[in-house]
Amino acid sequence: MSAVSIKLLIANRGEIALRIIRTCRKLGIFTVLVCSEVDQNSLPVRYADEIFLLAGVMPSETYLNGPKVIKSAKESGCDGIHPGYGFLSEDASFAEACEASDLVFVGPTSESIAKLENKLTARQTMHEAGVPIIPGSDRPLRNEDDAVEVASTIGFPVIIKAAYGGGGRGMRIARSKEEARRFYRLTRMEAISSFGRGEMYVEKQLASPRHVEIQALAEKRGHVVILGERECSIQRRHQKLLEEAPSIGINDATRSALADATRRGLEASEYTNAGTVEFLVDNSGKYYFLEVNKRVQVEHLVTELTTGIDIIEEQLAIAFESQMNISQNEIKVRGWAINCRINAEDPRRQFTPSPGQIIHYHAPSGPGIRVDSALYSGYTVPEYYDSLIVKLAAYGRDRKDSIRRMRGALGELEIVGIPTTIPLHQLIMSEQQFNAGKFDTTYLEILGPRLDETLATLEENAAAIAAASQAMGMWSMKPRMHRSNWKHVVSHRRGW
Amino acid sequence: MVNLRIYRVQSYETTFAVTIEPRSKRAFCAKVKSEIIECICDDPGEISTWAIRHREVKVHARARSLGSNRIEIWVGGLPFLFTVTPMGIEDIQSTQSRAGEDSGDIHASMPGRITSILVKSGEEVSVGSPLVVLEAMKMQNEIVSHKSGHVTSIRVKEGATVRKDDLLVQIR
Repeated sequence: MSAVSIKLLIANRGEIALRIIRTCRKLGIFTVLVCSEVDQNSLPVRYADEIFLLAGVMPSETYLNGPKVIKSAKESGCDGIHPGYGFLSEDASFAEACEASDLVFVGPTSESIAKLENKLTARQTMHEAGVPIIPGSDRPLRNEDDAVEVASTIGFPVIIKAAYGGGGRGMRIARSKEEARRFYRLTRMEAISSFGRGEMYVEKQLASPRHVEIQALAEKRGHVVILGERECSIQRRHQKLLEEAPSIGINDATRSALADATRRGLEASEYTNAGTVEFLVDNSGKYYFLEVNKRVQVEHLVTELTTGIDIIEEQLAIAFESQMNISQNEIKVRGWAINCRINAEDPRRQFTPSPGQIIHYHAPSGPGIRVDSALYSGYTVPEYYDSLIVKLAAYGRDRKDSIRRMRGALGELEIVGIPTTIPLHQLIMSEQQFNAGKFDTTYLEILGPRLDETLATLEENAAAIAAASQAMGMWSMKPRMHRSNWKHVVSHRRGW
Repeated sequence: MVNLRIYRVQSYETTFAVTIEPRSKRAFCAKVKSEIIECICDDPGEISTWAIRHREVKVHARARSLGSNRIEIWVGGLPFLFTVTPMGIEDIQSTQSRAGEDSGDIHASMPGRITSILVKSGEEVSVGSPLVVLEAMKMQNEIVSHKSGHVTSIRVKEGATVRKDDLLVQIR
């Protein structure tokens, strides 16, 4: 694409801001990054061409503040805004404000977002497009009695969901009438406070499904290109922890059925730009629409590894030139990629967030290893934003190869200063069921006791080093007389 | 002679008895709960760098002394805080390591490049005699003898790159 004259505002932070800047650099696009007060020393700030400081630290004052972001874009003379993921990326009113301010929003149109934003109407759209949906309510619940009634009709367990929820938030599993009543109230309250909308609905909870999603790119003329699927079943409380491309859990028939459903669904919602359609697949291969992610996703990198496509570049091409650079017959999924989300969360304290200063950071590298991260030694992970700090991906010629590379890379990855989820990924990579490809969305629940074992082993390793350091201090440091050597060192500067 | 030491390593919840068998100055074999864990120190320093091998898996770790027997170990992305207390010596220290105490081994005090060698083999030196010049961070550093005697061997050549603690000159 001829992008030389484009000036783009990036309304995000951390690794995804850096990821977008990297593609812009490749294309010669001038970048403007908005940044909160606490992010002034972040890596993307150093990489961006221009910085626009937003007063405050809280998302609502900074990265989530649409008017401030648009004002920054106008004042710095930007042509468009890339929202990344999270924050303003799926906000129809923000996309609309961009359109009204003559700024290109790198994502779907505000109309298309609005159509899919409400999960209840998205279900309707998909159903009409012939995409199977999970049995559940076809209208918003009126009250808790209504919730109990609908739940009883479809049969427990059910999921009580907020129509405007997303990213794994705003949903609860109810196993009884009593729970349906309680969780309706609780989830609705949460939805009002975090999404500003209280519409609720009910879906049947499928038994041990897999979460499989299709990455697609869509052009204005209703042209959809499928970049293959991702397997995202490994989740903790509906938050993805690890993603793979392709999926070991589906066969070619399901694969092409999902691709067709994605095509139909996106065409029906007049979708443009990069998007992902999420499905639940049961063990018989039956699939159901879950939701559409209307943004570049955290896990997009595994698809980039298996297809060789730069998804950010295609997003920009579609947004600025209404045309992608690729066609379906050029897409070949090759090899296998796995992504581990390394979060600043303490696995020994029920995964509570662990922001703080990074004393030392060493990223792995080598054949097939990709690290998307904005960490560096000395960086302080702020407490105000997401806990994702490193995306570590391994590509291999097949799944086994990819797992082996990931094991090696996890061993090389060093983060000193704050507890992280590295041990959990180390456990998963060595765990038999995962290696055999036999897992679903309930995988992590059964992994609990094994995690305790892993943590105990790590503590034993640490104890060994503690004793060895002490032993080294006694035997090795003294005889070598480091200090006395230093005392007699005579230093003088050589002129140059 | 085998040279075993036992340490009591305590965290908030657990106490380990760790037996340490040194394999070299920086390599140790640790026995924790009948598991054998090899520990190799890659770089001693304020925050020391370690590689460990346990059940065929190699892992990297870092250790930071917090004073008064307290040490913080970072391994697998997690911190572990311990108090380490020597419990006893199974065998008397080997004569070898005792001899090391006043050995005339001169090591590199920092990583760098040897720009000149100021002594010849057999030459008599006294405490404070300059032996080699080590260039590090654009500084010329004279490495001097901390022992009187004769230069028995010179282990580096001019222009050689050395790592911290590499053996440079031996004096007997």
